[in-house]
Amino acid sequence: MAEITEIGAVRQKKVRISTVIIYLVLVLLAIIYIIPLLWVLEVSLKTNAEVFQSPFAFPKVLQLGNYIFAWTTGKLGKAMLNSLVVCTVTLAISLFFGAMTAFAIGRMKWRMANATMAYIMIGMMIPVHCVLIPLFVRFSRIGLTNSLPGLILPYLTFSLPQIVFLMTGFFKSLPRELFEAACIDGCGIYRMFFTIALPLSRTGLYVAGMMTFIGNWNELLLAMVFISDPTRKTLPVTLTYFVGPYATNYVQMFAAIVIAVLPSILVYCAFSNQIVGGLTAGAVKG
Amino acid sequence: MNKILSNKKAIAVFVLPTVILFTLILFVPVIQMIGYSFTDYNALSKPSFCGLKNYRTMMKDDVLLTALKNSIFFLLFSAVTQQIIGILLAVLLTNIKKGRNTFKNIIYLPCVLSSAALGLLWAFMFNPRMGINQFLAVFGIKGPLWLMDTKGFIILPMWVIAFVALWQYVGQNMMLYMAQITGISQDLYEAAYVDGASRGQAFRYITLPLIKPMLVITLSLNCIGSLKFFDLVYNMTQGGPNNRTQVLATWLYFQGFQYFKYGYSSAIAVLLLIMCLAVTFLIKKGIHVETYEA
Repeated sequence: MAEITEIGAVRQKKVRISTVIIYLVLVLLAIIYIIPLLWVLEVSLKTNAEVFQSPFAFPKVLQLGNYIFAWTTGKLGKAMLNSLVVCTVTLAISLFFGAMTAFAIGRMKWRMANATMAYIMIGMMIPVHCVLIPLFVRFSRIGLTNSLPGLILPYLTFSLPQIVFLMTGFFKSLPRELFEAACIDGCGIYRMFFTIALPLSRTGLYVAGMMTFIGNWNELLLAMVFISDPTRKTLPVTLTYFVGPYATNYVQMFAAIVIAVLPSILVYCAFSNQIVGGLTAGAVKG
Repeated sequence: MNKILSNKKAIAVFVLPTVILFTLILFVPVIQMIGYSFTDYNALSKPSFCGLKNYRTMMKDDVLLTALKNSIFFLLFSAVTQQIIGILLAVLLTNIKKGRNTFKNIIYLPCVLSSAALGLLWAFMFNPRMGINQFLAVFGIKGPLWLMDTKGFIILPMWVIAFVALWQYVGQNMMLYMAQITGISQDLYEAAYVDGASRGQAFRYITLPLIKPMLVITLSLNCIGSLKFFDLVYNMTQGGPNNRTQVLATWLYFQGFQYFKYGYSSAIAVLLLIMCLAVTFLIKKGIHVETYEA
C-alpha cells in the first residue's frame, strides 16, 4: 500500500511538470491562431503609410473610413445579403427534402431503400469540380447562370447526401413503439412524419443544418463560376475580387477581410460550444 | 402499421424530390463530364469527338504534371501532419481540465471561417513587404519571398500553402480524436497504471488502438479535402509564380473558365474523380478496424 502511494506521489509531481509544458504549448498555439486575426484588425484601422512606417505601433487615429470604403465600393453589404439569401433558402429546402428522404429510407419499408441510400451516398465522394462544366453549359442555355436560383440548385444537391445520411441515422434510432402507438390511434404517414419524427429529431436537424449552412456560406468555386454579375455575387467571391493580389490600397482590403469574417467569428464566439459539438457529432456520424 | 409504412405513394412523395435533384444536378452532369473529356470542346464550338486527344495532351502538359505533383504533395503532407498533430493536440487537451474548452474553440475557429478570406489574410501575412517579413526585419533577418520563390522540387510557396491548410483544418482532426479519447473508459488507464505502465505505454497500448476507428473518418476527410483543395491556392498565389503552384482543382478551373477549353478541363476533372474514388477505396480497404470491448 505504501508503495502505491509513493508511486502516486511521484506521478503527481511528474504530472505537474508535464501540465506546465502542456499549457506552454497550448498558449503558444493559441497565439499562432489569434495573432493573424488581430493583425488584420490592427492594419485595417491604419493608413497605408503607417503600415510600412510603423508596422507594430497602434494606429494614431482609427481609420474607420477604410471600412466605409470597403463596404460601399467593395459592395460587401450586397454580397452579404446575397450569401444570406442563398444559404437560408438552401438550408430550408435541403433540410426538408433531406429529412423526407431520410424518413422514407430509415423508417419505411420498401425494397429499394438500401439501393436509394447507396445512390445518394455516392454523391459524397464526387467533388463539385466534376459537375462544373456540364452544369455551367446547361444553366447558361436555360438562363440560370447569373441568378441566385442557379446557385441554390447545386448547393442544395451537394448538401443533401450528408443530411440524408445524418437524418437516416436519427430516424432509425427513434423507438418503434412511438410509431406503433400513433398508428393505432389512426395517424397517417404524413402526420407521423411532421408531428412525431420531425420534432423528435430536432438535434439531428440542427447538426445537419449547421454543417450545410457553414459549408455553403464559405463556398467559393461554384459561386465564382456561376455568377459574374457583381450585384449577385456571394460574400467569398466579392471578397476575392475586391482583394486582388496586385492592388495596393492595402488597408481597405484588410477592412474587407475583417468585414467578411467578423459575422462568422461573432456567431462562433456566442455559440462556440454548440457549434463545435454539433459539427463533431455530424462528422462522426457522417 | 406495416401497411402505412409501405405506402407506395408516400414513399414516392418523400424520395422523389431528392432523387430527381440528384440525378439532374449530379449524375447526369458527371456522365456528361466524362463524355466531354473525349471531345474537342470550347465555349464557341460544339463538342466534337476526338478520342483520347485530351488525355494525350495531359501527359505532355508540364503545368498539369506540376499540378498533379503538387496535389499529391498536399495529399501526403496533410494526411501525415494533420493526423500526427491532430492526435497530439487531442491528447494534450484531454489531459488538462482548466481552459480545455477555450483552447479547443480557439484552435477549431478557422475551420468554420471562409478559406477564401483566410487565404487572402495569409497571403498578406507572407507578403514580401508586410507581416512576417516586417517582423523578421526587427531582428535584422531578411525574410524570403515566401509566395514567389521557385527553387526546389516542392517549391517554398507550396510549403507555405500547406502550412496554412494545416493551420486552418487541424482543428477538425483534433476535435474528432478528442471525442474518441473522452469516450475511452478511465478504468483502463487506472488498471494500466496500477500494473506499472508509464504514460507513454498507456498512450501506445490503450489510447492509440482505441482511437483507430476514427482514423478511417479523419483520413478520408483529410485526403479528399486536400484533393479538392481550391480556395487557399486560388486566393494565395492564383497558381503563380509561372504556374508553379497550380493544383489539379485550380488548373481545371483555369482551363475551363479562363481559356474555355471545356474538353480538356473535363479530362482533368476525370483524373480528379478517379483519384478521389481511389483514395476513398484504398482507405476503406486498407485500414482494418478491430473493435475492442471497452
